[in-house]
Amino acid sequence: MKKKIGVYICHCGGNISDYVDVEKVRQAVEGDEGVILSKTTMFACADSNQKEMVDDIKDRELDGVVVASCSPKLHLLTFRAVVERAGLNKYNYVHANIREQVSWAHSDNKMGATEKAIQIVKAAIAKVRNTESLEPVIVEATNAVAVIGAGIAGMRAAIELAEAGSQVYLIEREFFVGGRVAQWDDLCLTEETGKELITRLYDQVMSQKKITLFTGAEVIENSGSVGNFNLKVKITPRHFKLRCTEETLQQAIDVCPVEVPDEFNFNITTRKAIYHNYPSEYPQLPAIDMKNCTRCGECEKVCPNIDFSQKTEYLNLKVGSILLATGFDPYEPKKGEFGYGEIDNVVTFPQFKRIVHYCDDKLVYKGKEIKNIAYIYCVGSRQVDGENKYCSRYCCTAIIHTAITVKKKYKGIHNYHFNRGIRTYGKAEVWYDESSRLGDIYLQSFEYDPPVVEKSGTQTIVRIKDMLTIDKEIEVVADLVVLVTGMVPRQDNSIGNLLKVPRGRDNFFNEIHMKLRPVETVIDGITIAGASQGPKNIMESINSGLAAATKSFSLVNSGELALEPTVAKVNLEACEWCGKCDEACPYNAFEKVETGGKFIAKVNSAVCKGCGMCLPVCPTNALDLIGLTDEDVESMIDALIPNI
Amino acid sequence: MSIQKQMKTLEYDVLVVGAGIAGGESALNLADLGYKVLLLEKELSIGGKMILLSKVFPTLDCAACITTPKVSEIARHPNITIFTGAEPQKILKKGSHRFEAVVLQKPRYVHVADCTGCQLCEEACPVSVTDEYQYGLVGRKAAYIPFSIASPRAAAIDIDNCTLCGACERACPTKCIDFTQTPEEFLVKIKSVVIATGFELFDPLKIPRYGYGKYKNVITSMQMERELAPTRPFNTVLRPGDGKMPDNIAYVLCTGSRDKSVGNPICSQICCMYSIKQAQLLMGALPMADITIYYLHIRAFGKGFNEFYVQAQDMGVEFIKGKVGKITGKENGNLVVRYEDIKAGTVKEAEHDMVVLSVGVLPNQGISGVFENEELQLDPFHFVNQVDLMASPAKTSIEGVFVAGTASGPMDIPDSILSGGAASAETTSYLRKESL
Repeated sequence: MKKKIGVYICHCGGNISDYVDVEKVRQAVEGDEGVILSKTTMFACADSNQKEMVDDIKDRELDGVVVASCSPKLHLLTFRAVVERAGLNKYNYVHANIREQVSWAHSDNKMGATEKAIQIVKAAIAKVRNTESLEPVIVEATNAVAVIGAGIAGMRAAIELAEAGSQVYLIEREFFVGGRVAQWDDLCLTEETGKELITRLYDQVMSQKKITLFTGAEVIENSGSVGNFNLKVKITPRHFKLRCTEETLQQAIDVCPVEVPDEFNFNITTRKAIYHNYPSEYPQLPAIDMKNCTRCGECEKVCPNIDFSQKTEYLNLKVGSILLATGFDPYEPKKGEFGYGEIDNVVTFPQFKRIVHYCDDKLVYKGKEIKNIAYIYCVGSRQVDGENKYCSRYCCTAIIHTAITVKKKYKGIHNYHFNRGIRTYGKAEVWYDESSRLGDIYLQSFEYDPPVVEKSGTQTIVRIKDMLTIDKEIEVVADLVVLVTGMVPRQDNSIGNLLKVPRGRDNFFNEIHMKLRPVETVIDGITIAGASQGPKNIMESINSGLAAATKSFSLVNSGELALEPTVAKVNLEACEWCGKCDEACPYNAFEKVETGGKFIAKVNSAVCKGCGMCLPVCPTNALDLIGLTDEDVESMIDALIPNI
Repeated sequence: MSIQKQMKTLEYDVLVVGAGIAGGESALNLADLGYKVLLLEKELSIGGKMILLSKVFPTLDCAACITTPKVSEIARHPNITIFTGAEPQKILKKGSHRFEAVVLQKPRYVHVADCTGCQLCEEACPVSVTDEYQYGLVGRKAAYIPFSIASPRAAAIDIDNCTLCGACERACPTKCIDFTQTPEEFLVKIKSVVIATGFELFDPLKIPRYGYGKYKNVITSMQMERELAPTRPFNTVLRPGDGKMPDNIAYVLCTGSRDKSVGNPICSQICCMYSIKQAQLLMGALPMADITIYYLHIRAFGKGFNEFYVQAQDMGVEFIKGKVGKITGKENGNLVVRYEDIKAGTVKEAEHDMVVLSVGVLPNQGISGVFENEELQLDPFHFVNQVDLMASPAKTSIEGVFVAGTASGPMDIPDSILSGGAASAETTSYLRKESL
């Protein structure tokens, strides 16, 4: 039982003290059993106060400390570190949340808020009286990282990790690397094309001995936890032994009777079942799409390197950390959305990029030369009725840059931008300026009054009530309507589901804290990078890839990790293995073992997260949580409701 | 040039110039990996501009709550040495993984280790001057603690304004004030440099028609930031002219951004969002106040930003699409804003009792001149040029010199932190190459 407890009540610079009378809280707890020091502080987390706490702990020989401040998500670790610096075991620190749970929640009731704060602090004091010193669980960490997704963010992160000294497994679901950027051709800001950028990164990936690249590969099973994840990877065969010569490959493609929409070109062209995305695609080995292959065998006759006997392979990888760089999907408009799928000259932005890629001196779509182009912005983003409330960030800049390219590449182009307010942030402003000076026409409406695309005879007409000309109704006859589609989270979230990575309101992977821990997830050891976390341009994706690589590397490089000892504990006498705890455990931390002639449950403390799901289902009450025992909880309840 | 021999020589792995959030993030990451870092900060406290902010968009986290623990972690990290009041005078590249920097540390006239931050010197000091950390809203003494959550939280003497009366020395209980301190130069040998020198705010005096400096109730967004911060000077929002609580506040976006007439054609990337944030905070602080935001385009592009913009609209913030032409003052201190209402297609005037100029982000140009034998290239907008923007955004024109945060262009806090992470990653790779 602690006898020298110190309590600090934080103002949080008004965040708490504007609603909670912190001095009253202090007075209410200063006489509690064991409390020998109680203070209020403007910012408990500020360096000066941390120093004061260290001095207090040393001078007054405190054996337990409570800070009543913000959510433990923000500063539990901060104050544990403080008490540790003062020589006290960090598990003798208890955090009381009187900001998120009190001042912010009850800003309309200052008296009530103060009373609630007093109870919460009293409960924390009750808990700290019982705390025991604990030592962390030390586990070995494998100095290897699985990078999932070989787009730009994943490839760049992989290179970084390898250069820093980790073994890297770069796992790509498609048969070819490069993700969305490979499909993007010319890029803003630099002269380099998407293909060239991918080539550069791919060359670096291949020159790194520490990187193993898997294509056609998917993670299908995951067990273990930070430091030691065990991944099972399924590798789909390409059905090619070696690269054929260009000639035999072309013959094999020519003889293939299957023709399917080419996803690489966003279905504006078709490809065969035997294919590569473009002639120098990486890896430079074509693949056979077995979903569509009819096994007719024609290709085998002309190309000796085709091998239909290749089987799906499975392999097990052990890694210390997982870096997710799984990217995004372009928004796919609904049928009829701005005429998409109904009017034949309505295309999406990614399709338009591919059309421009394939048209040399004339811009032609479906046999018709294009002169007037209408761009409709924010398709799938900033939706009034739909789910996507967010802005997709890259599209304004990218489409304006593309419109300039088109104007310079072909003669007689007229660009009409039907926008909702141009968002060419930062230095991209220069493109907007240039496009305006080149004579592009900008027409604007608000979210709730979007432009309309209609077919009138043979003509496609885009109509808008243009706020820039005092709501004048303006019509443009368009040869091509480009829907500037945004980014959406991957529709296939199997990897997110497998790894239990939470998603945010926008359904992209969610970081722990946008500013403090922007590339980490609540699953220890799993970091996120690139557009899997939210829309980003290339540079921003690379920055987040590099930042995520740094975090993953810092987890695995020392070879060992200190994990929380606050895990479940089994009372050997009371346990009569029934398996209920195992069923309840979300982390597979239990195993059935035989000891003393009976079966009992055993906790793998490296895997257990101390979530407590097992405790209430145990019929013999054989489980307890280290650091949050039944006794702790009962003492806290007693403090919370003293009059019952 | 030659570097003088008598300077004290120090050796580190990395020199990080600028201890704002980007430099701090880079320094922490590198220090965690075991590299020895010298972190230079020209101001008296680390934490950059962020530590002075109120709350941050789009989560409305209190800025101090996020910054202070980071600052504390940086300050106590065994692998990080911090010099405040210090700037590099010159940096020379002597070869691969070999740089030499001459660092000048200005005297603080206070022994930081002995100062307890008791503020008795402040009370004793008879000199009052404008407080730059409160952006001129209030005064401070010549002997002063920069601000309450400064790190180090230690006094400093502003020698330019000090009358050398000695009152502070007599008042100081620990005798930590020392007028004999002189500027000190260090020769620092390092293997790599990270530039995180941040940005400067646009000075609205350059747009006289907005009346800043002429009408007291026209303030900058950074001044409003201070009025809203937990360490705020007035403990409430007041207009500086007469101390009245404003109830009709206007924001003028793109002040000094997207404006070729003041030499800054680009968008500052943060002003829309911080103005929307301030509008939301003001609606909490002054529930009866009307807030109007005059804008050209709202750049709410980041994660959760557009939702935050919509939330402000739903809260009742009025958004008027139009460029403000001129601001004139009335006798009662109110201001008449003349603007083009684009939606209505006319020029209009509206009266407000306070106007906030949402000032933009400008480059902090000094750093490029410090590099003597190799050129640190700047981009057309005078930010540090990123030579491999698409694959290695932290690389500069000098091998071994990396850039983090707003030194390379406008960016918000999450992007600055990611950029700081990227710079530390590239520095790590560069340092590893030496040992291989």
